[in-house]
Amino acid sequence: MKIAYYPGCLAQESAKELDMATRWVCRTLGIELVEFPNFSCCGSGFIDEANEVLNIAINARNLAIAEKAGLDMLTICSTCQGMLNLAKVRMQDPVVKSRVDAALKPLGIEYKGTVQVKHLLEVLTKDVGLDAVKAKVRRPLHGMKVGAFYGCHLLRPADEMQSESGEEPRSFEDLLTAVGATPVDYRGRVMCCGFPILFVKPPTANTIAGRQILDAKAHGADAMATPCPLCHTSLDAYQNKAAKAVETPLNMPVFHLPQVVALAFGASPEELGLSRHLVRTDAAIAKVQPVARS
Amino acid sequence: MPADVVSVPFDIYRFQPGKDTAPRYQRYTLTLAPHTPVLTGLLQIRSEIDPSLGLRYSCRSAICGSCAMQINSKSRLACETQVGPEVERHGRIVLEPMRNQPVLRDLVVDQSPFWREYQKVEPHLKLDPRRPMPEGKPTPMTPAQVERFKETPRCIACAACYSACPAAEADPGFPGPMALAKLYRFVVDPRDTAHQERLLRIQPNGLWTCLRCHLCTEACPKDVRPSERIRDLKEMAITVQGATELGSKHAYGFKENLKGGGLINEMKLVRATFGLTGMVGQVGQGIRVWRKKPEIMKRPRKIEGLDELDKIYAALDSPPKEDPP
Amino acid sequence: MLRHEVVVVGAGLAGQRAALAAVEAGRDVAIVTKLHPLRSHSGAAQGGINAAIGPNDSIDAHAYDTVKGSDYLGDQDAIEYFCREAGPTVIEMEHFGTIFTRADDGTLAQRPFGGAGFPRTVYAADRTGLALLQGLWERLGSERFTLYEEWELARIVVRDGRAQGIVALNRRTGELQGVQAKAVIIATGGAGRIYGRTTNAHSCTGDGMAAAYRAGAYLKDMEFVQFHPTALLEGGILVTEGARGEGGILKNAKGERFMSKYAPNVLELASRDVVARAITTEILEGRGFTGPYGPYVHLELMHLGRERIESRLQEICDLCRSFAGMDPVTSPIPISPAQHYMMGGVGTNIPGATNVPGLYAAGEAACVSIHGANRLGGNSLMETLVFGKSAGIAASDYVVKSPNTSLTQGDLDAVTSTFRAWFERKDGEDPSALRTELQQTMDQYVNIFRNEADLAEGLRRVRAIKERFSRVRVVDQSKVFNLNLSDAIETEHMIDLAEVIIVGGYARTESRGAHFRTDYPKRDDAKWMKHTLAQCTSTGPVLSYSPVGYTRWEPKERVY
Repeated sequence: MKIAYYPGCLAQESAKELDMATRWVCRTLGIELVEFPNFSCCGSGFIDEANEVLNIAINARNLAIAEKAGLDMLTICSTCQGMLNLAKVRMQDPVVKSRVDAALKPLGIEYKGTVQVKHLLEVLTKDVGLDAVKAKVRRPLHGMKVGAFYGCHLLRPADEMQSESGEEPRSFEDLLTAVGATPVDYRGRVMCCGFPILFVKPPTANTIAGRQILDAKAHGADAMATPCPLCHTSLDAYQNKAAKAVETPLNMPVFHLPQVVALAFGASPEELGLSRHLVRTDAAIAKVQPVARS
Repeated sequence: MPADVVSVPFDIYRFQPGKDTAPRYQRYTLTLAPHTPVLTGLLQIRSEIDPSLGLRYSCRSAICGSCAMQINSKSRLACETQVGPEVERHGRIVLEPMRNQPVLRDLVVDQSPFWREYQKVEPHLKLDPRRPMPEGKPTPMTPAQVERFKETPRCIACAACYSACPAAEADPGFPGPMALAKLYRFVVDPRDTAHQERLLRIQPNGLWTCLRCHLCTEACPKDVRPSERIRDLKEMAITVQGATELGSKHAYGFKENLKGGGLINEMKLVRATFGLTGMVGQVGQGIRVWRKKPEIMKRPRKIEGLDELDKIYAALDSPPKEDPP
Repeated sequence: MLRHEVVVVGAGLAGQRAALAAVEAGRDVAIVTKLHPLRSHSGAAQGGINAAIGPNDSIDAHAYDTVKGSDYLGDQDAIEYFCREAGPTVIEMEHFGTIFTRADDGTLAQRPFGGAGFPRTVYAADRTGLALLQGLWERLGSERFTLYEEWELARIVVRDGRAQGIVALNRRTGELQGVQAKAVIIATGGAGRIYGRTTNAHSCTGDGMAAAYRAGAYLKDMEFVQFHPTALLEGGILVTEGARGEGGILKNAKGERFMSKYAPNVLELASRDVVARAITTEILEGRGFTGPYGPYVHLELMHLGRERIESRLQEICDLCRSFAGMDPVTSPIPISPAQHYMMGGVGTNIPGATNVPGLYAAGEAACVSIHGANRLGGNSLMETLVFGKSAGIAASDYVVKSPNTSLTQGDLDAVTSTFRAWFERKDGEDPSALRTELQQTMDQYVNIFRNEADLAEGLRRVRAIKERFSRVRVVDQSKVFNLNLSDAIETEHMIDLAEVIIVGGYARTESRGAHFRTDYPKRDDAKWMKHTLAQCTSTGPVLSYSPVGYTRWEPKERVY
């Protein structure tokens, strides 16, 4: 399988470990990642707040790049996935399309609307399939209880994102089961991490993040895992703030989705950049039962 | 069991002030056709099993907004939610009162916080005596002007959005999706003479606390899509007033940030949001993160085709020619 | 004891408009409502509100259509007043902020409606009631008045020949409260929940009508109950007449557009009683569809096209998809008639005064009468606003001229002891079960086609239910939000009203408008051109009659 790799800004910068784990997983599964140095940032939802049409045009350009190469796009960030999908939906409105086309045409760019944008979660569960994923598991994560944390933009609005469900998805839990981990069911898994207001209204953002982590904890999670590096930032890098906001020590390791899968495929913590996390992940990894020797 | 009915276990939150010291869940099991509304089940429980169950309901046709509650943790109207799919997905139907509003009894909540936020946005036409409405005639309004309301006139004030909102939960002073969507309705109403004033007031009063998590849009039974109207308010506020709050500075700053690079420059964004002096407050956490992730201080590479991006900005990054009415 | 000058009971369009008028007249106003105002049943009205504002329309044409629609029982002076006020009223509502659907030239769009010779129904998609309710509540919200929310009317107190105030149950605390007032305005809507199959909300239990009746006010023309032709088969949810106004057509199981037999000129846009009888006849004569939820016919919209349906009939689309499991863009809607509106109510004059000084009524709860024996679609929304306003003004004038009133502890104690008996009874009747039996009785014996035997049997059963109600028991002893107690309060109201409807219908040996007797199928102007008045006595309703107000239009045969 060959796919246009849209890593998003953070995977190229402060969430490098996400990129490392993604490449590990794709290599194992024979997914060829084609890179495009001309992809721009997706706007992260913030540009959409400042200027909707500009945001659509920026992402129509991103979509057109992959489309021209005849490839679908792979995202590894719930927010990138959401923004690219949003552009696809908005471009179906003839008024919006004509404004955007007027800006793109002079640049020789035409977005035709044929490219599919898929998050790694979808590629693993649907395109590759859970059986194929299971087949590559060398080290099933038995004993590790993981609370999935989807990230809002992957799921909602469900009609625009064409997601499996706006509030009741199961694919990430199915993936966790396929790699041997025990998924933890808790309300917070489909809620917000607070990232969009992390700098804007920290006490509220930190409280929200803290509550989701507490919820996962209360339901027995040893770790959380997320398909969005922005959620990861809020839940991991800013977990100290979250703990303060909810006045409870949290100590909850947070993995990127491909890190969990790569660990099950046999990758070492070093290969996955786990030491870059602000919250140590060793305790969670220690929960994994050693593979029985025959 | 005949093919056209299913067994439906209801686990219903019960709390009676004066009688219960803590809430409990009570189980009732009915046999119902799968397309039966949850409300019909509740009324059957009241009339056949337990008349003490408390809930609000009236129209049963999704127009009065009385019966909003949590149905398997989703804030929804009971009259519009069918039992079949819930039982299929969850094996039972857990019913709880709406969130973010104190419980009065069982499934009945005190909606004062919700109504208070609604009143705060001054939900009525503000008129200017110097611009009176035409005497004895309706104010002219074209279909295009009516279109601008989008679906906000469909709001039935059921509070499902407010119940679903994590920002309202964490920050009780947050206006909530309904009040903000209602504000939008007045900002785009050509008869209202206070558009600028309304935007000016909401910028520092909660507009930028919205997480754009879209849980409100998922919950809304009338397709009002409040999160998308809030987005519209944000863009209007920046366009009309400029970036005056942390939230608008951050959004505006992010937009500006891509110019000349194409990928986000984290340091530059922090400065745009907080200003040079404001950045000082971010230093402590910044260093903590930097020690593990030094990339946050580095300038990212420039993308190829940057000129294309710059030209797109030149074409589209200007305030819309047409004023918000 | 709480005290105000004007107490309005009911916070739908009529109640709010009355309150606004009284506040503008400088009065101290309280609204007592058992629902938050925005939850009132006014919000469920869909199709539109009539006003002769189009350049080729006229007030006279609107008035004539209304007179004819009423099968000549409407009071023509009241109808003329109503039609004159309609234009300024709709414009006022637009100025208050109501968002209406617009024509391309920026004026208010108007659609055709049943029984109207001209498209004069102003509308807001198919949620006109909601639009008006929001507009009015937004306007009223900035005025000073007291709102007693989730308070249920238990009694209207009349003493020394005038209204003294009301006793109400605060549902949130379980406390009984007296509200003393110089004027009481009843705007509590209709009583559709007397029937099992009704478009009405569960809250439509006729509380104000029944309380006024027991307090000595006449109920007028109660036998005239409107059955809306098109309600969803399962559950009776309303499908607006506006669907037919936009071009929807009715077909029976043989695929025939049967309205051509019953109303050759206007087909589906005949007045509601004609269409309801047509559908019922088709069903009774074996040309309806059958199914597990009862017999029905089809309302077809498919030919109107997706765009028109989804923009002009958005709510209907949602209703069909959510509640009938089908899409009206691609499939015919299964419908059959259901109880919808009560032409009858508390008898008032044009300004809204009842025969009890200090007691007023407006909206569906009242009977002026402008609808006579049958109401035209689009006239009810207008009625709430026109007569809500006039009642508010009249009540305010009365207040200024009248001495103080007084409620006593005894007034409260009377209600308290009634409730106590209900609570303390060891073995008794379940109010829910009594209500269900009442509904089944009305559905079966007092429906679209009536006859002497059915009405007699219906009356016998209602009286038996009434007798059993004297032994009603409220099991739930709690104070906060006790719906079991509300069940009993409301059922008592409904039993009284059912009795009045049947007694009036039994006595009226003719067919007129919505009251159709198979044993007296003709209209009998010589004997029955008069309003029925019912007065409450200890042995049941006692009937008398009053003349119909006539100005210009001679009664003619009514053909559509």
